[in-house]
Parts: sequence; C-alpha cells; structure tokens
Amino acid sequence: MTAKSSEMKSTHAPSVKMYSTPSCVYCNMAKSFFKRNNVKFEEADVASDLKAREEMFRKSGQMGVPVIDVGGKIVIGFDERTLRTLLHLK
Amino acid sequence: MEPKKEKHEKPKYDYKADEKLLYDTVIVGTGVVGWATAMYGGRLGLKTLIIGDIFGGTIILTHLVENYPGFVRLTGQELSDKLEEHARDYDIDILSDRVERVEKSKRGHEECFLAHTLDGKKFFTRTVIFATGTKFKKLGVPGEKEFENKGVHYCALCDGPLYKGKERVGVVGGSDSAAKEALLLTEYAKKVYLIYRGEKIRPEPINEKRVEAKIKEGKIEILYKTNVTEIKGDKLMTSVILDRPYKGNKEFKMDAIFIDIGHIPLSELAIQVGVKVNEKKEITVDRKGRTNVPGIFAAGDVVDTEFKQAITGVGEGVAAVYQAYKYVKEKEHQSA
Repeated sequence: MTAKSSEMKSTHAPSVKMYSTPSCVYCNMAKSFFKRNNVKFEEADVASDLKAREEMFRKSGQMGVPVIDVGGKIVIGFDERTLRTLLHLK
Repeated sequence: MEPKKEKHEKPKYDYKADEKLLYDTVIVGTGVVGWATAMYGGRLGLKTLIIGDIFGGTIILTHLVENYPGFVRLTGQELSDKLEEHARDYDIDILSDRVERVEKSKRGHEECFLAHTLDGKKFFTRTVIFATGTKFKKLGVPGEKEFENKGVHYCALCDGPLYKGKERVGVVGGSDSAAKEALLLTEYAKKVYLIYRGEKIRPEPINEKRVEAKIKEGKIEILYKTNVTEIKGDKLMTSVILDRPYKGNKEFKMDAIFIDIGHIPLSELAIQVGVKVNEKKEITVDRKGRTNVPGIFAAGDVVDTEFKQAITGVGEGVAAVYQAYKYVKEKEHQSA
C-alpha cells in the first residue's frame, strides 16, 4: 500500500514546463531549484522558439520570463514558495 | 592554477540556520555585499547567519561587470556566485528566507536583537548588518502596471531577447545603468530609443563612448528633456505618450520599454528598529559602517554613500563586520 501510494504519487507529479530565455537569471534560479529538488521539467527557449513564445503568451498573457506551467497552473516569475506548494515540496 | 574540484563535492559545512543559537551577527541580504560580509564574518570567527531571498541581489541582472578588480569582465551572476562560493568556504549559516522584522530583545540578561523571517523563524543575534540593497524605482505613469511584462520591463538581460528583430524598444533613464541596458538591447532590437528627462545622459566615460558609437551606427537615438507620461496598448503595450513631441507626434509606437530610473533603498527594516536614514531613506552610517543604534551596522547600496558599486559595497561590508566583531568582543570583555 505504502509502495503503491508512493508510486502513485510519483506518477501523478504535475508536469512542469518552463518558458525561459538563455540569459534570464530568474530562469536559472528556477532551474537550479528544480534540479535541487529532483523535479523533472521541460524547458522552452522563447528567445528562439516563436511557437513556444506564442504558447507562453496564450497561457499567461505575459511577455516576461520565466513563466512556469505546473500541471496547468501558471506561475509568473521565480516564486519559490508557490512552486513548493504546487509541487508538494517541503 | 585553480585546484581541481571533485564532481559532486560535498559541501564543506552544513550551513543550516539554528533558532536555538545566539548568533554573533545576522546579515540581512544575500547580494554581493551580504556574501562578502558573511565571508569576513566567518573569517573573524563570528557565529554568522546570512538571510536573503534573492541570492545575488540586483547585480545578477547586470550582463557585464567590468569594474570589479581581479576580473576584467564577467556577468553579475558570475560575480555573485564567486562571492557566495567564497563565503561558503567558511563555517557560516545560510538561510533562504526573508527577514520581515528586527527588534531589540534580550536573551537571558544579555541585550541583543531578534530577527523574524517570513517563514516564521526567529533568530537571536548580538549584532545585525543590513546589506538589504535597493529595489527598482517605478515610473508611476498610467499603463505601467497594466503592461508590466507585457512590454514594460525592468530587466533587459532577462526579457530583452524576446524583442529580437523588433523595430523599436525604449529605455527610460540617463544613468550608466540605463546606458548599459540600451547597449544590451541593441543586440536584439533594430533601434533603441533612450528617453531621458535631463539634458545629458551620464554614463561612465567608457559606456558613453559605446553609446556614441551606436548612435553613429543608427542603433541608438537619445530623446533628451523628454518624459514618458503614459503607456498604451491592448493585450501588449503598443506605444508610449511623451510630454513633448517626437517628429511632430507625442504618441510614439514602441514594442517594449525598459525602465531604469534609479533605485529605492530597502531600509524599512532598519527604520523599524530605530536606525536613522537620510532624506532619500538611505541608512546613515559613519565611515566604519556603524548606524546610530549600537550593534546595528549597514553597508552597500542601502547606505548613504555617493558612489554605489559592488567594489565599494563589499569594502563597506567588510569594514562593518569588523566593527561588529569589535562590538561583540567588547561585550564579551565587559561581561567577563
């Protein structure tokens, strides 16, 4: 039961997609945060990927980075506390 | 030659903040000044805690630092990382959190301070060093808030690449920092308009020459004695309204505008605990970094110095922590 719950928890971890630019320092902070906490994430470089830029704008109405999509919930900027809550991290 | 580092090298210390301790010093702020101050606190053998929520502070938004001795050029992030790494070479405690309040307190019979954090933690300390820095000044015009991150930005390094190939972006300001933002943006936008209320922008001479070269190339144009009075748009900003016409029109179509009109010192915490500030709300310190409150010191962009650079700030931080050391030792001597 415990093992199964743990498996379910990892299966149901929200997907994370970060829209960033290569020189964005707050994006780098977010990346370090994800790596430190073993959070898998997908990254889209909106400086070069116009489709991703449009997607970011459609989802968030923002033209500033980072924008982070955590299981459909949009986080603007690197907001560690909100990310911890959404990712169920201590 | 740099010593080889093992991959996944274990941290030298655990750096964990301990609410049970009475710290010798709590440094508020994790910018370059905070890290340098913490490094020297550790070096002096002070039980040191550094608390901050943005590791690196405002300098991490600077793409090119060329005035820090020992490094010809590096990014603000790289400089901050180096200072943090240096601080971590000493047995100090580090907390990623935000100090919300500092008050005078007592631990047993000893007078001290109590620092409260956003996460509800409390730390007793004999001394406090404010290295809280500054925050960006906003323009305060209609449309600024509405179009923030929708064309209105405060960090060219972060958001400049989104305007690659765009026709026009603006920078508001006339300082060295504004000139550097404009220079960086010329790498992305076809033309950058520097909008300044004064008669002559005032970058450092080296950056002035760079701006002049970009003006000759047609990549930068400066609009002097001009203020932005409104930012307009729909889903994204589309234009700014100027207080004097540019080529016969006060409305100026623009893809984005980057605001760089100075900074506001983050001195509220210090004021709450009785520290004196000047008319700009900068903390008043003497040459040794001492404030009017015994046991409280300050350094860096938040204090009332004229020339605010990483190099001057880290020096101030080190001077302040030495005074904190002397203060702690004197107290120990008195109670012995």
